[in-house]
Amino acid sequence: MNQDTTQAPADGVRERGGISLRGGGLFTSGLLMLIAAVVMYDSLDQGIGWDAAGPQAGYFPFHIGLLMFLSCLGTASWTLLHWSEGRGRMTTRSEFRRVRNVFLPIAAYVVLMFFVGMYVAGALFIAWFMWRLAEPGKRHGWLKIVLISVGVPLATYFIFTVWFEVALYAGPFADLF
Amino acid sequence: MEQFDLLMHGMGVVLTWHHLLLMVAGVLLGILVGVLPGLGAPNGVTILLPLTFSMSPVSAIILLSCMYWGALFGGSVTSVIFNIPGEPSSIATTFDGHPLAKQGRAGEALTAAYTSALLGALVGVLLLTFLSTYIARFALEFSSPEFFAVYVLAFGSFIGLGKTPALKTVAAMMLGFILASVGMDTVSGNLRLTFGLTELLRGISFEVAVIGLFGIGEILCTVEEGLVFRGENARINLRVVWNTWKQMPRYWATWLRSCLIGCWMGITPGGPTAASFLSYSVAKNMSRHPERFGKGALDGVIAPETADHSAGTSALLPMLTLGIPGSATAAVMLGGLMIWGLQPGPTLFVEQKDFVWGLIASMYLGNVVGLIVVLSTIPLFTAILRIPFSIIAPIIVIICAIGAYAVHQSLFDVGLMLVFGVFGYLFKKLSYPIAPLVLAAVLGDKMEDAFRQSMLFSGGSLDIFWSNGLAGTMTTAGLVMAFLPLISRIVRMGRARPRNSAP
Repeated sequence: MNQDTTQAPADGVRERGGISLRGGGLFTSGLLMLIAAVVMYDSLDQGIGWDAAGPQAGYFPFHIGLLMFLSCLGTASWTLLHWSEGRGRMTTRSEFRRVRNVFLPIAAYVVLMFFVGMYVAGALFIAWFMWRLAEPGKRHGWLKIVLISVGVPLATYFIFTVWFEVALYAGPFADLF
Repeated sequence: MEQFDLLMHGMGVVLTWHHLLLMVAGVLLGILVGVLPGLGAPNGVTILLPLTFSMSPVSAIILLSCMYWGALFGGSVTSVIFNIPGEPSSIATTFDGHPLAKQGRAGEALTAAYTSALLGALVGVLLLTFLSTYIARFALEFSSPEFFAVYVLAFGSFIGLGKTPALKTVAAMMLGFILASVGMDTVSGNLRLTFGLTELLRGISFEVAVIGLFGIGEILCTVEEGLVFRGENARINLRVVWNTWKQMPRYWATWLRSCLIGCWMGITPGGPTAASFLSYSVAKNMSRHPERFGKGALDGVIAPETADHSAGTSALLPMLTLGIPGSATAAVMLGGLMIWGLQPGPTLFVEQKDFVWGLIASMYLGNVVGLIVVLSTIPLFTAILRIPFSIIAPIIVIICAIGAYAVHQSLFDVGLMLVFGVFGYLFKKLSYPIAPLVLAAVLGDKMEDAFRQSMLFSGGSLDIFWSNGLAGTMTTAGLVMAFLPLISRIVRMGRARPRNSAP
């Protein structure tokens, strides 16, 4: 089993790019085990025993974390024991590129929101998406891009801020809204 | 008939122009989220939730539940016309719905789908009407050990009945419980898992998790497949509707079986998705012409649609009476109840008669309104789907971000949504189930409270969960369900071994 662990990252990366099911699976189980470990550590601080008021604050979360750790350990060992069955792709290189091309702009949109507010960030996000990520062989005209990327945030302003009185974060442009 | 009087009372509450308009609006919004990839019933309802804070609970639940029916209807439009299920629960509808559309019989397929869906939903509502008072009255006797036992049963059935690997179901569920435990502990006042971040003091809202996991995760998965819509023509007029209706009585047996499967899976937390698959395969196996399935058999559309809707409506039965939702969307609505200041569970039937019976009455009307609205708006929604993905996708992302922000007016939550989006993508690719996570995130606090209170009663002994017949039966059944995958594995191994060792 030890040998398998050392091979894991190398194998996952080498084959024709993309991410294999076993590589992605191990990564996810590892990530969840890490979360579970953090939860258990935090719960130990809270106290996982009993006092006059019944179970202490950490009792329930500690056992939840323990169960999660064990179940992910089970999944991870299954992956390692059935190593050859996990050779299939979780995502191929071109699929992964498509996901990344969409995920990065979404992340940028979220970060941008903190600085310029949700309306402006939204407009920039739509414009970028329509400009750079149009369907293959298609191009959106600039007038269409401008109209939609300005129109949608305006519509959200009227629906949410004006109509339902759920004010959205406008950042430095708060005075305008 | 006590229930009948109560139902009439509910009808009185619901039959106002205001509520009828809300129904139409809810159904339209529901069809929209059902049709659009990346927006489905659970996160559509979640995004709409903050907008209902200023409404009365009855109006709010009418809007949200009608959105749910609309989404169930909308999911089948895309299944039939584009071969793309708008909702996981309408995957089974593509098997025969799309072949029918290819033969130019899309109108027939859609009419059959909606009509059987409506009839399936009505059976679910009838069940709700006549059983809910009894179950609620029975559940009023529950105290914390019984409630904890009900939770054990609900979560155990998820592990036992789910189609995903049991260990992954457990992991997803535990992640949900962890989300629920973040923030101030209500009993001791301790801060749990906040890591000194003030934003985490109030906890992680399940809404944010739902929008990230379902919304952003779904968008990433859709993009990965390189989505191109290639739709069939959908002509639908009264003649097609009438001709289809004339054929429908022939399939009464399929319909009845699917209703039973749907109601059962809706009440136990199997959910509409599992119900529609099960019902499809049962219909195929019981059919005299199983070879026609997959090539455009009308009963191949009727079976999953009926089960889908009867499961969707009957999922509200345990939600209202016990406070345990039967599906992810019902879980979100349950969260909504708590936000509106209502205590879900049996006391609703005593203290909030207007609310409960208004909701049940609105389910009768809402589904009928839904059928009329969806039949008359199919061309509109297929037109929406012809808008390029590069325009629709960013708008969906923006709506998700606004939904996450609006829960607590916090940008931190939008960042969290992004993190959940990554988890949603990974979970989907690696077949971790998301519904138990949502359920655990919504119910975690209540389950922990029930556990702690029981422990206070018993002075720390776990025996209390077996202290009376009711709690004991449910706890044992829940544990058996939870270990069912393990037990069946051992049984299988035990059966395989003698054969291997035989000379």
